[in-house]
Amino acid sequence: MISRLRYLFRETGASIRRNPTLSVASVITAAVSLLIFGLTLIIQHGFDNLLAQWEGGVEMIVYVNAGAGEEQRLVIEEALGQQQNVTIEAWSYCDVSCSLADADRLFAGDPVTRGQLNELNIPTQYKVVPLDATQVEILRGLRDRYLELPNVYSVQLAEEQLDLISRLQGFVSTYTTGLWIALMVAASLLIWNTIRTAMFARRREIEVMKLVGATDWFIRVPFMLEGLLQGVAGGAVASIAMWFINGRWTAGVETFPANSGMTALVVVDGYEWRVSIIVIVFGAIIGTIGSGTAASKFLDV
Amino acid sequence: MIRLENVTKRYTTEVVALQDASFEVAKGEFVFLVGPSGSGKSTLLRLINRQERPEEGAVWVAGRNIVDMPSNRIPQLRRNIGNVFQDYKLLLNKTVFENIAFALEVIGKPKHVIEQQVPAVIDLVGLAGKEDRFPDQLSGGEQQRVSIARAFVNRPLILVADEPTGNLDPGTGEGIMRLLDRINGTGTTVVMATHDRRIVDAMRRRVIQLDRGVIVRDQARGVYQ
Ligand SMILES: Nc1ncnc2c1ncn2[C@@H]1O[C@H](COP(=O)(O)OP(=O)(O)OP(=O)(O)O)[C@@H](O)[C@H]1O
Ligand SMILES: [Mg+2]
Repeated sequence: MISRLRYLFRETGASIRRNPTLSVASVITAAVSLLIFGLTLIIQHGFDNLLAQWEGGVEMIVYVNAGAGEEQRLVIEEALGQQQNVTIEAWSYCDVSCSLADADRLFAGDPVTRGQLNELNIPTQYKVVPLDATQVEILRGLRDRYLELPNVYSVQLAEEQLDLISRLQGFVSTYTTGLWIALMVAASLLIWNTIRTAMFARRREIEVMKLVGATDWFIRVPFMLEGLLQGVAGGAVASIAMWFINGRWTAGVETFPANSGMTALVVVDGYEWRVSIIVIVFGAIIGTIGSGTAASKFLDV
Repeated sequence: MIRLENVTKRYTTEVVALQDASFEVAKGEFVFLVGPSGSGKSTLLRLINRQERPEEGAVWVAGRNIVDMPSNRIPQLRRNIGNVFQDYKLLLNKTVFENIAFALEVIGKPKHVIEQQVPAVIDLVGLAGKEDRFPDQLSGGEQQRVSIARAFVNRPLILVADEPTGNLDPGTGEGIMRLLDRINGTGTTVVMATHDRRIVDAMRRRVIQLDRGVIVRDQARGVYQ
């Protein structure tokens, strides 16, 4: 077992040293594709921050003055109750702690604004799911009526807030997904080619190994390890670059005005760690696929 | 040890390298394969270690018909067959010791076995003191000794040699033959293809003669003719 491992690492190391240019090209391509992949995940998560408030089909939010007690809110709940099953399918109250949690995500990139909000001054919310979200006119009518009620701070409609954002998100996800898939295929093919070249360079050794009775797996594994390492190295480089870019972006967003609508578009909740792991695992997968197929195909060199 | 039953090997519909060949080699025998260039000697040797598969017939090695042997069993078959070639097939970036050790390493033999068997076989082939040389620092005869050592280090049942003296001058070739004879003396079956009349005539072992893929002579204690 130990001698096998020593053999494995010696052969893999020798193979990588023999062809540094191809190895570097493989790692860079893998890194670029995985970076775009990682950034796509990060951007998606940023959009999710922005949209989190509106999860579950919520189309209208009625903000209630901070400090309005249960009795004062009764008027609002009555008004909502009247519309139950008429225009409204469901509504729920998002209390102080719930609203603070929403603010955490909404102002993720703007700690100054977030810092000004607390239990005493944050408006609480009624989140309203309409029967038919496409009936914009009805929702607008409701908004106008609810704005008249006492203790209502403001009323927002998803339609006004989200239209642009969802379209932007769809745009980003479609194009970046196409890009990273294409680049990952390229990275996998490059690793495939690197391994093919490595196997061709060592065809005499492979011939001897087969003649003395080495198993196909024994011959294959060092090459597969080489591809795996290239993929993982690409993932690690992508991961570092992603942290750097995300850090710069987050620092930049803090300087944006609070009403820019961009303050939610950051990731600071530890999601970056998950993305790092995903990116490295994807690197390992493309490396193994590329080298595994090459190592199987070219065993008969 | 080896039995061919009505074996026919075609590379294309026109090129019939071996036609309806049948013979049996007992354990511990020494057999010369002779015949003109292109008569099928190398093809026959490659059938024995499953580098080639025949279109018809059966090839029995150590009690198994290897024609339809699943590919995951072939490594085990080859561990019982040592191969020696005219061009040695040594790895130029490895020393004598490493070339021989490589054959044990890649079949998963532990280090202590390698450290015990490799020096012993280096002694046997008469290369003691040269274990740290690279192939290009050796004469042709010495390189062939390394290749024989590599083929024999795992103590195979069968040694298959394809013109092992083909690139060597007569004197050096005789030394190689003495070595193969000694290996044969340990009980290893040896099958050797050759064009070397002097060697065949001097050794007086069994001779199988091929002509255009057909066995035309199978003679105990034969000569080259
Ligand atoms: N891989 C191959 N593909 C097609 N034809 C082949 C192949 N190998 C050998 N042949 C043909 O098969 C016939 C037998 O070849 P083989 O190499 O077995 O002869 P040989 O007796 O070893 O000759 P030599 O003494 O020159 O080494 C020849 O006609 C040769 O051209
Ligand atoms: Mg030949």
